[in-house]
Amino acid sequence: MISVEGLSFRFRGSEAYALRDLSLRVAPGEFLVVTGPSGCGKSTLALAIGGYLFRQFDGEAEGRVSAGGIDVRNSPIYDTAEIVGLVQQNPEAQFCTLTVRDEVAFGLENRCLARDEIRNRMGWALGIVGAEHLQDRALATLSGGERQKVAIAAMMAAKPQVLIFDEPTSNLDPTATAEVFGVIEHIRERAGITVVVIEHKVDYLRRFRPRLVEMEEGRIVRDGAMPPAGGSGQAAEIGTTNGSGRVADVAAATAPLIRVEELDAGYQGIPVLRGLSLEVRPGELVSVMGDNGSGKTTFLHCLLGLRRPIRGRVEVAGRDTCQTPVSEMAREVGFVFQNPDHQLFADSVWKEATFAARNMGVLDAATEERVGQLLARSGLGDRRDDHPYRLSYGQKRRLNLISVLSYAPRLILLDEVLIGQDPANAAFLLGLLKEHAAAGGAVVMVNHAPDVTRRYASRLVFFDGGTIAVDAPVDQAFDRLRALGKDAYAG
Amino acid sequence: MPARHSGLQALRIAYQPGDSFLHRLHPLTKAAWLVVGTLLVFLVRSPWAVAGAVVLLLAGFPAAGVRLGRLRGARLFVSTALLLGLLQVVFTREGPAWLTAGPLTVTAAGVEAGVYIAGRFLSVILLSYLFVLTTEPNDLAYALMRAGLPYRYGFALITALRLVPTFEQEGQIVYDAQRARGVRYDVRSPRRLLTLAQQFVLPLLVSALGKVDSLAVSMEGRCFGKHPTRTFLREVRATRLDAIALGVLVLAVAGSLAWLGAK
Repeated sequence: MISVEGLSFRFRGSEAYALRDLSLRVAPGEFLVVTGPSGCGKSTLALAIGGYLFRQFDGEAEGRVSAGGIDVRNSPIYDTAEIVGLVQQNPEAQFCTLTVRDEVAFGLENRCLARDEIRNRMGWALGIVGAEHLQDRALATLSGGERQKVAIAAMMAAKPQVLIFDEPTSNLDPTATAEVFGVIEHIRERAGITVVVIEHKVDYLRRFRPRLVEMEEGRIVRDGAMPPAGGSGQAAEIGTTNGSGRVADVAAATAPLIRVEELDAGYQGIPVLRGLSLEVRPGELVSVMGDNGSGKTTFLHCLLGLRRPIRGRVEVAGRDTCQTPVSEMAREVGFVFQNPDHQLFADSVWKEATFAARNMGVLDAATEERVGQLLARSGLGDRRDDHPYRLSYGQKRRLNLISVLSYAPRLILLDEVLIGQDPANAAFLLGLLKEHAAAGGAVVMVNHAPDVTRRYASRLVFFDGGTIAVDAPVDQAFDRLRALGKDAYAG
Repeated sequence: MPARHSGLQALRIAYQPGDSFLHRLHPLTKAAWLVVGTLLVFLVRSPWAVAGAVVLLLAGFPAAGVRLGRLRGARLFVSTALLLGLLQVVFTREGPAWLTAGPLTVTAAGVEAGVYIAGRFLSVILLSYLFVLTTEPNDLAYALMRAGLPYRYGFALITALRLVPTFEQEGQIVYDAQRARGVRYDVRSPRRLLTLAQQFVLPLLVSALGKVDSLAVSMEGRCFGKHPTRTFLREVRATRLDAIALGVLVLAVAGSLAWLGAK
């Protein structure tokens, strides 16, 4: 169904090849999972099979790609699109319209199909992803999982023979992730098409017994049936790269770094968080989990003072966040946001790493030395003069964290920073955070990865509908989550 | 994630969902009213006709289920209209005086001119408000494409509608991220302002470029641009209500032309 022969590709302006002499054959109806560290060329491979790489991106290509008997390299995208559908990472970024109905109809209308045919196919496509009930909704009102289902339906409506998913769940919480993988399984059973899934979270896919292709630096390094369990996968690799052991539980004698009392907070007077009370002490590494929309991000924003409480009190490092300007709170509280690109402000790696310290007037020789060491440890030592936007996704993420560690705030807040990070990179970031906690700081980390929480956190706080449903040491917390029926979070 | 409204969104005059007869009119019927109505109040130089139009338009707001007093900018445009009218009253001195008080002379011609100017201003504003408040922009874009607007332009409009809230949200995140890194928004010099602007715009620009790539893949992958025309699932829903609304508009035009001819 898919045949790639000796494919190499180098993006214009880049020195390294994204794909190197790669060959791959996929049989009709096969279920293929492609995995590998970020930057290994997985997404580039997906773009190549869909033909986009040769039409929309500048670069040098060699080799042959065919799908369903079509020479992909030399055919218009429109022809390849009849065979291959591509579902991208972020559903938001691939929507072309504003409503579910318009979105699923979009590709069919562009193909000039008649209204009755469009209606039939729309019913079929929404049915296969289990989203018939969404058809009258506006896209903006859907949850993350619902959006991705609609994006999948929009591709399925064209009845492709191959469907490629490029990290389809990276923006989703565990509940929605399990749902989307369920949809993929269903599609395979009912539509009998060839499915290629590019994914870090391979553990979710194990039960489908797929063929697993592992890539590194633009090449395929392993290809075969996926091992039953305990083989490669994020959980295992994060553990091996960093060793095990959690931050020790800290004696309750120390004064709390965070003290939240009866907090209500939200948007335009409508509370998202209700009656929240919590204390965090130095040395703790707290994992915050919960469905998207349960108030996790709002909670982090309150800790830095980005959002003011409607009611209640938030005190961090002895200061009331209501009374203190954010730029002053920032001295005690470092915040790493979700998207690396939203938080790179300087024009060189060095300036970026020291940006916050300079703003706060604490950039001295000792700080510079610490930043230098951090850059060296994270493999950015020789990239000091490069523009931050020239770094890879994983490197940008490390730089974000260094920029926060540089001025040694006592509390570090992280909002889903492990999204799209491969296991090695995740382990590196988590190692730095563990050091921070061990040195008497505290870390509050919103994340969706049970394995990360299990290995690194000392405590798990689980949000449900704006309140804390579980707050306990990790092992106990997982037991309670299972009892609550939240198995997707319990790993 | 719950819907999050930035300050900008709260300020914007936007479509308000509803089920009034104004909401149910075809977007193009309302567009015709907007364009032709605006022309008429400029053509018909009768203060009393224009004042009548204002009264009718004001009645349109409760009919659309919108409280005029709660609209952003309502106070501003009403006071602007009053000011425009008053200036005419004060500075027009033709014809017999109705009232003289010191240097102030009010004439019939002045009052008429004042009513006309203020009424014309108000009619155009109110007409636009009614249009925007009761017309879903997305429906308008599709209606325009059905009426012959090349679909590439139509989807350019839809993409803009889709991305504006996203950029507002991202702008807020970048601003928060800057403050979290100790950036102070105190502008002491033009150079500092430039640096701040650069640090704010660059992350947004990079993120926008990434979005354009994804969107291009998504559109081409669904055959956007394959054919010079395309089909539409949406049906045209012109109803008897539209026939009545357009009939009234035609009558208004005919009446105005007759009135102009008589003069």
